Amino acid sequence: MSQAIISPHIPDLDLITVYAQRQDTWFSGVSPWTKFAGLFLIVLLVTLTKNLLVCISLYVVVLLVYAASDLPVRKLFSWYLIPVLFVLSLVGIMAWTEPGVPLFTLDLGIFPLTLTDAGAMLVVTLLLKALISVTYSLFFLMTTRYQYFSAMISRIFPSPLDQIFLMAYRFLFLTLSMIGAMMKAIRSRGGGIVRSLRVQGRIFAEVFALVFIRSFDRAERVSRAMISRGYQGKLEAATDIPRPGLSGYGTIAVSLMAIVLIASFVPDQWGLVW
Amino acid sequence: MAHVHLQDGSFSLFWVVVWWAAALVLIGVSLLILRSRKTDQKKITVAAFCTAAAFAVFQVSIPIFGGVHLTLTPLIGILTGPLTGSLVVLIVNILSAAIGHGGYGLIGANTLINIVEVSVGYAVFRLSKPLMPGLFPRAGIATVLGLLCGNVAMILIILVSGIQGVSQDMSAVLGGLSLIAAINMGVAVVEAFITGLIIAYIGKVRPDMLGSGGP
Repeated sequence: MSQAIISPHIPDLDLITVYAQRQDTWFSGVSPWTKFAGLFLIVLLVTLTKNLLVCISLYVVVLLVYAASDLPVRKLFSWYLIPVLFVLSLVGIMAWTEPGVPLFTLDLGIFPLTLTDAGAMLVVTLLLKALISVTYSLFFLMTTRYQYFSAMISRIFPSPLDQIFLMAYRFLFLTLSMIGAMMKAIRSRGGGIVRSLRVQGRIFAEVFALVFIRSFDRAERVSRAMISRGYQGKLEAATDIPRPGLSGYGTIAVSLMAIVLIASFVPDQWGLVW
Repeated sequence: MAHVHLQDGSFSLFWVVVWWAAALVLIGVSLLILRSRKTDQKKITVAAFCTAAAFAVFQVSIPIFGGVHLTLTPLIGILTGPLTGSLVVLIVNILSAAIGHGGYGLIGANTLINIVEVSVGYAVFRLSKPLMPGLFPRAGIATVLGLLCGNVAMILIILVSGIQGVSQDMSAVLGGLSLIAAINMGVAVVEAFITGLIIAYIGKVRPDMLGSGGP
């Protein structure tokens, strides 16, 4: 069952997996380690720069890479809702008290709210940074096969964290399918209609409680089945992850140098923060 | 739930590294203790299913107050304890960052906040058993207190780190954060109610899941 039944604004893991396994674009053939390094470098750059032009350019580049990978752009825009809401929920409030040149004022009767140029710039810059990171993250997820992810998790995280992570990722699809089926059942019986906190709370509490109880039941069954097949607390992901080629190392090195240069020499409205 | 509702680029590199390091230290301590106790395979499997359930539940928007999402971190603490719970919240935060719910650079800060929620939720639920035998009020109060402490941790982390590009003084930032915290605590009441019902339901159907904190 598609995760879209739960919420159309949250990235659908089933759809992401379909694209990841498809592997028919040039970017799918790029080493997962190169793409992982790219994620690290992008997070580093958006952390270091506050230059709006750098943010706009980086967003355009990441979006073009995403589109060139034949990934669904319209879906991406609908998935932006949650990160946008996250930024606006905090910075959207702070923008109204940021000192600067007033752009317009909202008179609320008790006190006026003034949006300044610095406040608007703050929101735009942080929104762009959020979208850069989200777009690249989804590109990474949608162009990298599951077996490579599991092998990377196995190599990066210590035990038993890697075991929990690997199993959780596998169980996630089962659990999402289970919760999706329950949500469908609730909606088909009118449970999606807004009623009192007590009624609504009880319905969803029972769904969530069932999810946890069934998860525990499954965990016990899976655990017994795994132990009977020789599981001793170590689940190895033996897949060989393609290493970055010369061009991969070159891209990483050039990108790192570019970030250092941008962080050192590109001026911006507020200056760069180290 | 409390969460640093910010994305990558909001904190300076220094504070990203500081919060990541602090979270990794706590995770490292949890791992060391769990390893020294020779965690059985079943506990690992249960933790994995709990991680998947927590992440899946977070995806559901409940049609109350225009739609709220719950992370159920105190519930994770009550069900798995603070050690395994800290690993669970780290993985949930990584998965959440992967789909755009919180930045990768903010995973450290968010994990710290969630560890506070998990630990306080667990401690209050266990310690208040002699005073309050009923599962519903005990889980509800544990959730409210866990999320309250999580909110305080969130405010402190943002006040200490500052937000890049924000030039207003600390009192103005605190004003904005207090508004967010007030909204979060409104959601916390909903989460406490739902967690109370979940724990009461689990107490009836599978009391063994609650261990010594059960009925």
